[in-house]
Amino acid sequence: MNTQDKVKINKLPTGVPGLDEIVGGGLPEFSFNIIAGAPGSGKTTLAHQFVFANATPERPALYFTVLGESAIKMLRYQQQYTFFDPAMLPGSIRFINLSQVVLEKDLGAVLLQITKEVEKSNPAVVVVDSFRTMIRKPESDLDLQSFIQGLALFLASWQATTFLIGEYAEEELHDNPIFTVADGLFWLRQTAERNSIVRKLQIIKLRGQDSVPGLHTFRITDAGVQAFSRTFGLTGHAKNPPSHRRLCFGIPELDKMLGGGVREGDSVLVAGSSGTGKSVLATQFIAEGIRHGEPGIVAVFEERPQAYAERAVSLGLDLETPQKDGKLKILYLRPLDLSVDETMHSILDAVQKIGAKRLVIDSLAGFEMALSPGFRADFRESLYRMIFALTGIGVTILSTVEVDESFTEFPFSTYSISFLTDDIIRLRYVSIDGQLRKIMVVIKMRGGNHAKDIREYEITSKGVVILGERLTNYQGLISGIPVHSDRSDSTEEPPLDTGIERKT
Amino acid sequence: MTAAPGMRDLAHRLLTYEAGAAKTSEPMESPSLRVYEKLRQSLGEFVGVVGFQSLASRALTLARPEAPSLSAARVTSDGSLQALGEIETQIDMDKDRAGEGGIILIARLLGLLRSFLGEALTLSLLRNAWPSEAFDDRNSVHGRKA
Repeated sequence: MNTQDKVKINKLPTGVPGLDEIVGGGLPEFSFNIIAGAPGSGKTTLAHQFVFANATPERPALYFTVLGESAIKMLRYQQQYTFFDPAMLPGSIRFINLSQVVLEKDLGAVLLQITKEVEKSNPAVVVVDSFRTMIRKPESDLDLQSFIQGLALFLASWQATTFLIGEYAEEELHDNPIFTVADGLFWLRQTAERNSIVRKLQIIKLRGQDSVPGLHTFRITDAGVQAFSRTFGLTGHAKNPPSHRRLCFGIPELDKMLGGGVREGDSVLVAGSSGTGKSVLATQFIAEGIRHGEPGIVAVFEERPQAYAERAVSLGLDLETPQKDGKLKILYLRPLDLSVDETMHSILDAVQKIGAKRLVIDSLAGFEMALSPGFRADFRESLYRMIFALTGIGVTILSTVEVDESFTEFPFSTYSISFLTDDIIRLRYVSIDGQLRKIMVVIKMRGGNHAKDIREYEITSKGVVILGERLTNYQGLISGIPVHSDRSDSTEEPPLDTGIERKT
Repeated sequence: MTAAPGMRDLAHRLLTYEAGAAKTSEPMESPSLRVYEKLRQSLGEFVGVVGFQSLASRALTLARPEAPSLSAARVTSDGSLQALGEIETQIDMDKDRAGEGGIILIARLLGLLRSFLGEALTLSLLRNAWPSEAFDDRNSVHGRKA
């Protein structure tokens, strides 16, 4: 035995997708934990997932029920979840009802009963649900503290990982002895935001290891609780080194304006009003990537994948074949009550599945509308986390955003998110010679030089096509109401010296 | 509405098993009571005394119209069954009729469990109280699997 060796704390799987990452790899073995929250927040389901993930016939789980939801009803409902395996009862998971002893006797008798059952079964996991109902009877503070202390010491000594479940209000956090004794404190919250429910999980305390701080979204589905880490499951992922590769749109003049294309790992914003061709440009960006062997993801919020693919056909782009070949995934993220974290989870899943290099989010307005109202307030912050996480693993993101056309301003987006993007391409209508025509300009490219030209373009059966040379005979083009300046000087473009390797 | 055939069959198997076991251990106790007591012990652990008492009372209420011999039986506050054993012992001349009452009561209790917990979980819980041979098809009157 080396005196320098520190004890290694084993980490147990929580059985909750996404939660292992939040708690730093798993739940510390032999820890004494509290799951707190309001009724219906998913406390029991979370505990069941842990139990089903860890119980074995040799080291079973003891699930003590007290007052409140009857065990028979609890099992009736819990077995609807996919993680519930009836064959594990009662060999690996035993439910023991303590209501009689709680109602008729004192905390000492309750502790004795738990002790007896634990000594008999040698469990790896012990759950008391609901612990709160166990201590509702008037007891002196000393009795209560002594009970909690005794229970925690006993269960740890018997090498059991414990969950006490309770309905607690946040005001009770500061002067309740149970929270002092606990090694881990999981707080589940659910709030109604207008017409939808927002569920958040916080690890208030976890001894022995680092957990991801903050509030994490979670959802309860047929598979039980699923948590979405604020770090999007990318903790520990190495950040890709900056790339010098350029990714093209397949629109030669535009690629030239971009100095050879957008830099790999950039976040590109294509901003313009309705009908200016933002989605067309996005589709061409994805299709060009696929042509060069770079799988892509398109996250659409405003139309179904089928409609999106059909529209691409009208531009001469085949999105059906790459979908079949696993080179392209069009994600339709169901609207109205999503969190950014859930959306990100779906996108990341798809990115990892097909090894995507390009991602299109069409559009940010649709994305925002798809979110639960409660998450919209955090949209910019969430978007920042999402873009940072995805570009960090080398994915190039192109987002479209609709901006209100104004003849006095030239806004880049309605979200004030331009600081989140590396490159901005602005599309807009302009009134020229009695026609409503379209112009395009590269506003910003963080990774290098770009053309300053304002170019006219059209949307044809081949997609976006840039017309002629830069517009030199007009003043005030970006206002949308230019004045003909009658200049006829050279339209020759200044050479671009980006010093960056062109990919295509 | 009568007890479901599948539950009657299962109840019959358990009673048959207990009747066989009683020959060697406790010959004086009725098989119905032995099955009932085993259910009380194993289910009482997880649903609690009050939980089991409620289920058993409901089962008895459902069973009575089918088995008039159960009219005197009652479930006590601790969930145990009073009078069933006495009825079965008293009606010596008509053992089949008395045994039928026990089967119906147990079938109703198992039926309640199945409706609340589903077949898989009900069987898992029963398998904890009885060895696998208790569920053997050879003990089945209908030759059906439970």
